[in-house]
Amino acid sequence: MLLQVQQENVSQKKNRAPKKRAKNQKRLLAPYLFLLPFFLLFIVLTIGPYFYALGLSFFRYRGYGSATFLGLANYLSVLRYHVFWTELGNTLFYWAAHTLPLIVISFSLACLVRWKLIRGAKFFKPIVFLPNVFAIVAVSLVFQNLFATQYGVINQFFHTTFPWLESASLSRWVVVLLLIWRNLGFWFVVFLAGLTTISPELDEAATIDGATVWQRLRFVTLPLMRPIFFFAFIYDAITSMRLYTEPNVLTAGGSLAQPGAAPVLNLLVTNLNAGNFGESSSVGWLLFLVTIGVAGVIFGLFRATGEVE
Amino acid sequence: MVSLSTQKQPQHRWTVRLFLLAGGYAVLIVVSLVSLYPAVIMLLNSFKSNSEILINPGGLPIHWTLANYANILYGSQALVQQFWNSVLVTVVTTLLSMLFSAMAAFAFAKYRFPGRNILFLLLLATIMVPMEITLPPQYLLFAQVGWINTYQVQILPFIVPVFGVFLLRQYMLSIPDSLLEAARLDGANEWLIFWRIMVPIARPALAVFGILQTLSVWNSYLWPQVMANDTGVAPLMVILPNLRDTVVGFLPVWGTIMAGCVLATLPILILFLTNQERFMQGVVMGAIRE
Repeated sequence: MLLQVQQENVSQKKNRAPKKRAKNQKRLLAPYLFLLPFFLLFIVLTIGPYFYALGLSFFRYRGYGSATFLGLANYLSVLRYHVFWTELGNTLFYWAAHTLPLIVISFSLACLVRWKLIRGAKFFKPIVFLPNVFAIVAVSLVFQNLFATQYGVINQFFHTTFPWLESASLSRWVVVLLLIWRNLGFWFVVFLAGLTTISPELDEAATIDGATVWQRLRFVTLPLMRPIFFFAFIYDAITSMRLYTEPNVLTAGGSLAQPGAAPVLNLLVTNLNAGNFGESSSVGWLLFLVTIGVAGVIFGLFRATGEVE
Repeated sequence: MVSLSTQKQPQHRWTVRLFLLAGGYAVLIVVSLVSLYPAVIMLLNSFKSNSEILINPGGLPIHWTLANYANILYGSQALVQQFWNSVLVTVVTTLLSMLFSAMAAFAFAKYRFPGRNILFLLLLATIMVPMEITLPPQYLLFAQVGWINTYQVQILPFIVPVFGVFLLRQYMLSIPDSLLEAARLDGANEWLIFWRIMVPIARPALAVFGILQTLSVWNSYLWPQVMANDTGVAPLMVILPNLRDTVVGFLPVWGTIMAGCVLATLPILILFLTNQERFMQGVVMGAIRE
């Protein structure tokens, strides 16, 4: 643990004989009582709805009247719908295009700040972290202001008229930029904390043995940081699959992004708004399978290059 | 150690080092500016009239105006109701989720009981399942009881966050059992041990979790957009992107929107500025487990 608990002096604890059998009865029940509220709500609000959604995905149900069993028809119709593949492609693109630059840049920044000659880490840390504090909706709207075609800051500054947000192929990159910009500080802080856990003696020992900066990074720092890299890639992938706010608010304000830039969750929402509860649920479960697949790929890549704990 | 190894090195090594150092600072300064710039734009544009933003989107306001703030506070685009909706939902959700997560975490960290591992694995297994899967069924369930467009529908689904249990359990594991034993010998019952000993000691972790949960609830967009988009109960985030000029051409009213963005950012920014270390610790506690 990073946070140290101040260990109180507990040596005065007395060793008394086990004379409290009756109290033990209460102690056996206690953990279940502590778990009860959480699990009761968790079953009603999370586990139950998961299974309900799974059930719904095999039925045609409009929210009223009776449900018709369809088997896998909802899944097949989603899989046959070209918009599903476009939007799934967008979600995967948003993840793939931002995750590597994000993690590489934030790690490099953390290394830079840890460099002995650089002063002022305390000053830079909160500034770089700041974008993570802003409301996602707010920064998406500000980026809309920056990248607007006619009245945007960027186009006016460079005297250009790129349709940054109107053209799907351009707006996808603006979304990637927003994702990197907003999450940079988050991973920077994580990597910085990770680097501080590496004992300086290790680095010094390597230096005395004649290791160059590059060798120290490659053979000392990177192997020690492996678990954090693994966590970063997995965590970022899982959250990227659920991407919704940034692309929609950035390119369409309060409405839904056009299919060329829309994430796959949009299909769940449009089906839900249309009252197709079965199809909406099947999109959700397909997204779950994609999440497992992406996490599996990352796990495989880490496994191929060494141990994963 | 640095000076020791450099003493033997020729002069040009120092120049290289100096260049690298200058480059390093340059990178940090550029990154800081890029991090801050959109926030500065947000603030500046909130003091421009809607028409000035179109001509002068990136510079200092030529005519400073408070019209946008007047508009979101009292005007036709008032966001006060939605602001308080956001605050209410965030505060209630965060407090309830802290209580329930802490109780569950306490049970997992400090008791051995049959079924512990299975229950914990059950929680672990749900990490990969996107929460949004529950949108269609929850919509049906909440519609059944007539809770669409209420506060409940925004609060209930978020009061049992699994990551809260993980984070708090991790911290509580590091608290020595002997403390609890001592209290038991003094005759404290299990609830008192939790409430009077565990909760105060775990306060740093609770604060960190509270901050993370506050951030995530405050940022909610998809859920309330589907479940509670009525202006009476909707949070700020749902209404903010929809501010339009109802008189002229239905265009986005950028000045007002930027003032709204400032309003949406301010509470969290204040929380950040007063709890900087906890914010960043929270990030780290989630990521590094040793």
